[in-house]
Order: sequence, then C-alpha cells, then structure tokens
Amino acid sequence: MSDTESRDSREVEQSDTEDGYEPRDIFGTTTEMDLRSGADNCTKVGTCDAECPVAEVDDDFPGPQFQGPEQWRLSSKGDVEIDDSVTKCSNCLRCDSGCPSGVPFSEMHNTARAKYVLEDQPLSIKKIRNRILANYRTSAWLASKLPRTANFFMNNGIVRWLMEKTMKIPSEREFPEFATQTFREWWAERGGEATSKERAQEARAQRGDAPVHSDEKRVAYFHGCYSNYNTTQVAKSMVRAYESLGYEITVPKQKCSGTPMFANGRVDDARRHAKVNVEHLGDAIEDGYDVICTCSSCSLALRQEYPDLFDLDGIDELAAHTYDALEYLRIHEDLEAELEGATVDAPDVAYHAPCHSRNQGLGRQAVELFADVDGVAVTDVGDSCSGISGTYGWKAEKYETSMAIGEEMFEHMEAVDAETGMTECPTCAMQMEHGTGYEIMHPIEVLETALT
Amino acid sequence: MTATSPDVLVIGGGSTGVGIARDAAMRGFDVTLVEKGNLTHGTTGRMHGLLHSGGRYAVSDQASARECIEENMILRDIAAHCVEDTGGLFVKRPEDSAEYYQRKLEGLVECSIPATELTAQEARAREPFLARDIDKAIEVPDAAIDPFRLCVANAKSAQDHGARIETFSEVTDLLVEDGEIVGAEITHESGAGKRVHGTEGTVEEIHVDHVVNAAGAWTGEIAAMADIDVEVRPSKGVMTIMNVRQVDTVINRCQPKGDADIVVPHETTAILGTTDEEVGDPADYPEEQWEVDLMIEELAKLVPILEDARTIRSFWGVRPLYEPPETGTDDPTDITREFFLLDHDERDAFPGMTTIVGGKLTTYRLMAEQLVDHLAGKFGLDSTSRTAEEPLPGSEDESVLDEAMDDFGLRSPVAKRSAERLGSRTADVLDTDEPNPVVCGCEAVTRAEVADAIEQSGTDLNAVRIRTRAGMGNCQGGFCSHRLANELHPEFDEGQARAALDELYQERWKGQRHALWGKQLSQAMITYAMHALTMNRDRDPATSEDAPDFGAFDAGPASTPGAAEDGESADGATGVVTDGSGGDRRGD
Repeated sequence: MSDTESRDSREVEQSDTEDGYEPRDIFGTTTEMDLRSGADNCTKVGTCDAECPVAEVDDDFPGPQFQGPEQWRLSSKGDVEIDDSVTKCSNCLRCDSGCPSGVPFSEMHNTARAKYVLEDQPLSIKKIRNRILANYRTSAWLASKLPRTANFFMNNGIVRWLMEKTMKIPSEREFPEFATQTFREWWAERGGEATSKERAQEARAQRGDAPVHSDEKRVAYFHGCYSNYNTTQVAKSMVRAYESLGYEITVPKQKCSGTPMFANGRVDDARRHAKVNVEHLGDAIEDGYDVICTCSSCSLALRQEYPDLFDLDGIDELAAHTYDALEYLRIHEDLEAELEGATVDAPDVAYHAPCHSRNQGLGRQAVELFADVDGVAVTDVGDSCSGISGTYGWKAEKYETSMAIGEEMFEHMEAVDAETGMTECPTCAMQMEHGTGYEIMHPIEVLETALT
Repeated sequence: MTATSPDVLVIGGGSTGVGIARDAAMRGFDVTLVEKGNLTHGTTGRMHGLLHSGGRYAVSDQASARECIEENMILRDIAAHCVEDTGGLFVKRPEDSAEYYQRKLEGLVECSIPATELTAQEARAREPFLARDIDKAIEVPDAAIDPFRLCVANAKSAQDHGARIETFSEVTDLLVEDGEIVGAEITHESGAGKRVHGTEGTVEEIHVDHVVNAAGAWTGEIAAMADIDVEVRPSKGVMTIMNVRQVDTVINRCQPKGDADIVVPHETTAILGTTDEEVGDPADYPEEQWEVDLMIEELAKLVPILEDARTIRSFWGVRPLYEPPETGTDDPTDITREFFLLDHDERDAFPGMTTIVGGKLTTYRLMAEQLVDHLAGKFGLDSTSRTAEEPLPGSEDESVLDEAMDDFGLRSPVAKRSAERLGSRTADVLDTDEPNPVVCGCEAVTRAEVADAIEQSGTDLNAVRIRTRAGMGNCQGGFCSHRLANELHPEFDEGQARAALDELYQERWKGQRHALWGKQLSQAMITYAMHALTMNRDRDPATSEDAPDFGAFDAGPASTPGAAEDGESADGATGVVTDGSGGDRRGD
C-alpha cells in the first residue's frame, strides 16, 4: 500500500499550508479562482506549446502558454477576460503533464473555460449542442430505454444530415452503439454485490492464497457512462477479472464523472454530478473499499479535476482512493506471476496510450503487462494524441482538427502488424476505429482472457 | 512661440522636471528640458508606484497629507490612463499600537481623507491573502500609478506645447556671466534629438533666461557647478517586485514608521517596499541582499503567501530629501517629505536659477504649478496653471476603456492591457493593416505599440520598455529583448540594434541579480542558455574586430567530401545529402 501512503502524506502536507497556496475564490463565483500565482511556475520554455496537439495543426490557436499562465497573469480582479480561443483547447492535458515546472494547466484551463462558457459566451446553437454533448449521460440514459431504435436512428443518414445542419454534429462520425442491456441491468440481474461476494470467496478458496473471508479485497467500481450504456463488455470483463483474483465488487450509485462537462466549460453541471459521486463513492471508501475505473478520463476526473475545482466534503479522500483498474491490480497483485505461462487467445493489437492515462503516469502499463504473455503482441503506436478528446471531435467545426491530430496515430496503427487496436479510453477507441476501421479492445478484456 | 517668450531650461527628466516643462510650456514659456538618462532615469523610475491618499502622513505630517489627497483626486482625472483605482488598506496586526491606529483614524478625518474602518473579516473578504490573525483595517483611497507612463505623457504634452525634450543629455557645466546663471553646457550622448545608438556625441551651450534645477538626488551636484550649496540628503530604499499580484489593494501596515510596510499592486505585479537609509552618493551605494530578505520577511506578516511567491527583481531608489540647513535631523525617516523652492537670487544672491527639491511623485503637479507660478511672477506671464484641469495625452477620453472597444484583431487580454496602457491613443496606435503579433508575451505588448514607442524614443529600448512594459514580466526580457531589437531594423542598422539589445539586456539583468533563487533562478538560467549558447551572444564573433578563425571548425561529416573541403564556399552548393533510397524511415 505504499502508493496510498504517499498520497496520504501529501494530503497532510497540503492541509499544513493553511495560509495559502490553494486557489482562492476571490473573483466572486466558484468558477473564478485566483490562479494568478500559478503563473509563478512558468519559465516560458514553451514545452506546453510543443506538446499541444491542437497548436500543432491549427496556427490560429495561441497554445497553452498563452491560455494558461500568460492569460491568468494578465487578468485582474473582478475583470477576468477570457479569450474565446479557450474553446479550441481539447482538454487533452498534455500541457499539464508536459510542463517541467508544475504550472497548474488543468486547473487554469478548466476554470478559464468555465468562466468563458458560463459568463461570456453568447448563446448559440453550438453552445446548446455543447451542453447536450457535455451531458452525454442524459442522452445515453434516454437511448438506453429503446436501444435498438436509438441505434437505428442515430446512424440513419437523414437523421445525421439533419443533426449536422441543425446541431453541428459532424455526419462523418458513427454514433456508438447502445447496449441492449446496460451494465447496471446486467449487474442487478446477476445478483449484484451478493453474487460478487460469493464468486470472490469461491475464487479465494480455490486460490488458497488468502483467507476466504476478507475485508481487504474490496473495490467499488466507477463504470462511468460509456461502459454502462455502450461498451458493457469492458465492465463485465473487469468484474470477471477482479472476481477471479478474489475481489468483492460493489457498484455504488453514480453519475457522470464530469469529464465532458469540464471540457465544455459546464462546471455547474459537473459539480452537481460530482456531489452524487463523492457522496456515494465516499460511503464505499468509508466501508473500506477503494475506487477503480476502467475509463482513463473518469479516473483522471476523480483524482485530479475534482480536488482542483470543487470544495466538497470527502473529495480529497476520493482522489486519494481512486485508481485505474489495471493500475490497481498492478499495485496489489503480482500480476506478472499470475500471467506467467498464460496463453491468451486474442488478436495482436496496436496500442494507443490515451493522453489522460499518460497524465496519470499510466502510459506504458498495458504494454508492460502483456509483454511476456503468449498469444498477444502489444505494440505501442507512439505518443501522439488520438485527436478526438471526448466530445471535441464530435463538433462539426472541430472535426477537421480532430482528424488532423489523429493522422499520426492512424498511420502508426496501420504500420503495426496488427488489425486490432487497444486503448483504455472509450473516445480514443471511437477515433481509432473511425480512422482505421479496426475493432478496438480494452486491456481489461485481454486480461480477463488471460486470467480466466 | 512668440519672440518674447522667456526661455527656460529645466534640468531633470523625472516627474518634477516633466511636470514643470509641461506647465511652463502651457503658459507660454519656451522650454528645453535636459535629462542625463532616459525619462524617469532617477528616483521617479525607482519608486513603488503608490499614488498616496495622504493616509501615510495623516499623523506625522498633515500638511503633506492634505496635499496628497487633493493631488490624488486631480491625477485620477488628468492622468486616468496612468492610475489604477486599487484603494488602500492600513492593516493593524495584534502587536501594532492601538493608540496609533486611533490617531491614524482621527488624522484621516482631520485631513479630509475618506476613511472606512473594516473588521478583519471584511478586510480578508476583500483581500483573501491577508494574514488570518490581523486585527482590523482602515480603507483609504490609495491608488497605483505608473510613473513611467505619467512622465512620458507629461513630456509628450510639453512637446505638444512647443517644448524641446532632450534625453541622454547631461549638464556638464552651468554658464555664469557677471554673477548670473545664464544657461548650461549640455553633453548629448548621441547628439541632439532622439537617441540613436552609434551617433557621435555633441556638446551644446544653451543660453536661457532662467534655469530650473529639478535634478532630484543630483540637485546638489548641479548647484555646485555654480558654487551654490544645496545639501540634498539622499536616502535609499529597496523595492522588490513579485511576479504576480497577491493583492489588488494597496496594503499598508498601520504603524508609525518602519521598514517594509507596504505592498502596491502594480500592473501585472506587486511591489514590496521599502527601507529608508541615508547614503553618501546617489549614484553609488551598496545594494544588499538582506534588504530584500527583510521586505519579504516583514511583509509576509501581512500577506503570508509572499514567503513562497516568486520575486522577479529588486531595485533601489534614492529619495532626494532636503531640509533647510539649520534643521539637522538625524534619522532620515524623520526628514520632512515636503518640497522646497529655492530662489537662488533671494537665497544666495545668485540670480538666474531656481531649485526645486524634496516632495514626492504624488504632488509632482503641485510642485510644478508652484514653481511655474514663481517663474511667471518673475517674467510677468500668465499666472494661472491649467494642469489640474487639462488631461494628459492618453487620458483625454476616459470612455475608451469603458466602452465595448474594438479589439483590433487582438486576443482579449492583449487588447485590454494595450488599451489600459494607451488610453485614448489606443486606436491611433493599434489600428494597423500590418500584421500585429505579440512581441512581449508576459506583458501583452504588440508590434504596433513597440513601433509607436520607437517612433518616440529612437533606438533606446529601455525607453521603449518604460512606455510599453515590454520586458517587465516574468522572463525579464529573456524571450523578448531580441524581438524588440529586431523591431529597430530596418530603420536602424544591425550594429545599432545590437548595441540597443545589449543595453536593455544588461538593464534587465541588473535587477534580476537580486532575485536569483527558485523559479527566477531557473528563468535566468534559461535566458542565459538561450542568449549565450543558442544565440552565441557571450562571444559573438560579430562583436569582435578579428575575423573568426574558420580553421578551428572541424571539417564536417567525412561522408560528404565536397562540403568538408569547401565548407565556407559561396557558390551556393550545400553539403546536404539527400537520401533517395527511401531507406528505413520510421515514424517513431
């Protein structure tokens, strides 16, 4: 548990600095915090600009150095003027992880975007569309009521033509298919927590390496919207993989992680959802559970964006107890030993590490994990950004940029000797599929095959 | 100007000098102003940027306090584009005297300075970074003022009224005829007119009807040229500039007197001040690190976040304090802040010159008015000053800033900062058909604004800096000094641009030397790496008389024999080998 310990000690340090480096809500609303002192870290070397995939393909985008430290330093109290170019930022956060001197880019961009969208941006079709995209959970919930009908209409040519004309949703994109049964429905039908406990205990008994009754191996799953409504196979694989290692799973009540909302400046919506998540996941943490996610943007939101942006009871606890699903197993299990000699029946894959995984330091975990597993060759396609960045590539005016950014990844995928892709992020997967036509897997699916 | 206009020579291009030049020119004098450096070269360019409400003097020096509040209100009108209405707080900590706090409150009322008491909670709601343990605070109408912009605007107004302004023009002697001062010998560093590097210096004798000595800390030296004794008691004070504003209100510590008791939000930065220590020579005194440390340590008691915040530079200024010879005050902090007008005819039976000394920036206009009143009396000219009503160039139309203004194709924070600096001149300067990129990213200064400044000040990039703030941000010119120099070309040649660049770079380095820890140290190292190593500016062969030793270079890759032997051939053949084989090119 060394990782958890170090997180805890960091927390203690933070609370020591009472007099203050935490951003202050001095501009009067929760969306405007005094981030000027964050500009103290900037030495203007421009690593952020060099890392930025949008700046690389769009000469009109001023880049993160301007968007972040320069713009905040130039702002004055009560009169923060956010340039409209902030809407061109895709929130990939490569500037955040690339900065050599710790400029709080993520916080700066999210706050600036929220300020711009909530206070300055004039009402328009695009603004409405952005809010609809940001609240994907609501659309997905609706679609899940009649999934087959939704699947038919959402990819119907006429409907899509209309959507492009009225809502500026690019007709080139294929809408993700809605599962006929959501993950939560499946989970409930399967018997929920009680069944999971049974199966975990069975596995533990079989393995003989841990007490059958244990409070240690318990995880709360934050599935997010996508593996609940769309790629339910990812969630199911996670359940089976974890149970086979003896973990009891709970699936608390939850809402959207907020990722698409942050990216569209809707911190107001994100905060509402965060409140529910922090409350229910917090209860699980109190009962001794750790939180795991299979979506890299969800884990990033819970770990980094939540404490950056919101001041909710238990939000730091949640951040400290949240893990990516693979990461968690790599910390607590000897996965290499588990996989030794395993042979899996999976296609070779071209693996793309999502920007939001990189930001959590997880960019190489899938490649490392499967390096010695027979039956699957995982080839890293390099550090390019897929370009879709969640809802970004779903906007007609951003589509070209999104595809231009993705070009490098597509080329590298095609150069790899594999006809299938792999990634942790559901929208990266969408883009990979869109650009190459490959089927895209999640590493947890491969892990499940290897373990069971 | 009519033939009968009396000629006046004003010595000193600080706030007092330019204020006098403006007032006198407006009243019909034929004015020449000479300054040995650029405008604000002396004390004016080395102050903390506080436009006093008078609160500071409300207990100890009520005459000064009343002058301050009156002038404060006038400058908000006539110099709107130089003043930011930050407001000010006098903050009382638990260990500070309650009795003094009470006297301060009473003094403010006596001097008609608007004052409101705030509880600690109210003060912290306004300024969240104030220390948690403060007692209470008094709110006063302090403000922030940009001394550079103020002086430049005064000088420009003087010029518009016919005055001649000469910078880098030092008085090397006073001309005396029959016991009367009749003018001065001026040494122009690069000839008369705008400063242009590489232009040979000239010496000029200027004969006038009257000389005004407004040389600030150098007043005594000027007077001594005519064997007149004016004993200025220069007192140094340190100021430390923080990279960002921790507070948006002027924060004063409510104490009788003391070092390190004020934080002034200034443009993008915050300035910490100051100390008060008498020095012998206003141009040569020690700048010591402990003074900087003291600023941060003491002021962190008011604003704790300062302890770990980034400092970008420190600078020292010298107050030109004066008191009549018989006063004999020991402690410089006790010397009056009032100003004195010395008519040397009356004082020393030496006609032809008047000296003005002491005072402070807040009252510069009043000092100028009184001095020009004195001159007008002497020469029988219009005795009414109009400087209290007539706005300075840039402040004619305040609505410019309030209206939803044209952004001239600039990103919104850039447009906003530019308009704040340029005031009513904004459209004149920014409305251009040429590409207008940002030259200084830290301070959001565009090429058009730089070009406007160059037009005013020739090759002097420090003069461009004080007009635009280019080079005053966190990289301290590291990323923009060469871009600024580039803007001199093609009007000026490469050698002039290079000399101007070196001068600006050195000036920026001077203040940064006192901030070399933490992030500013990293910044300085990056700047060094870029300028010395990448741009080869530490040993650039172009700056040497000798031809470079090309033989010292190696012959290049052996696989390109043509290039190896003929490396510097001018025939256009390059050593680049193209690989037509399409070999192993991998994307990763």
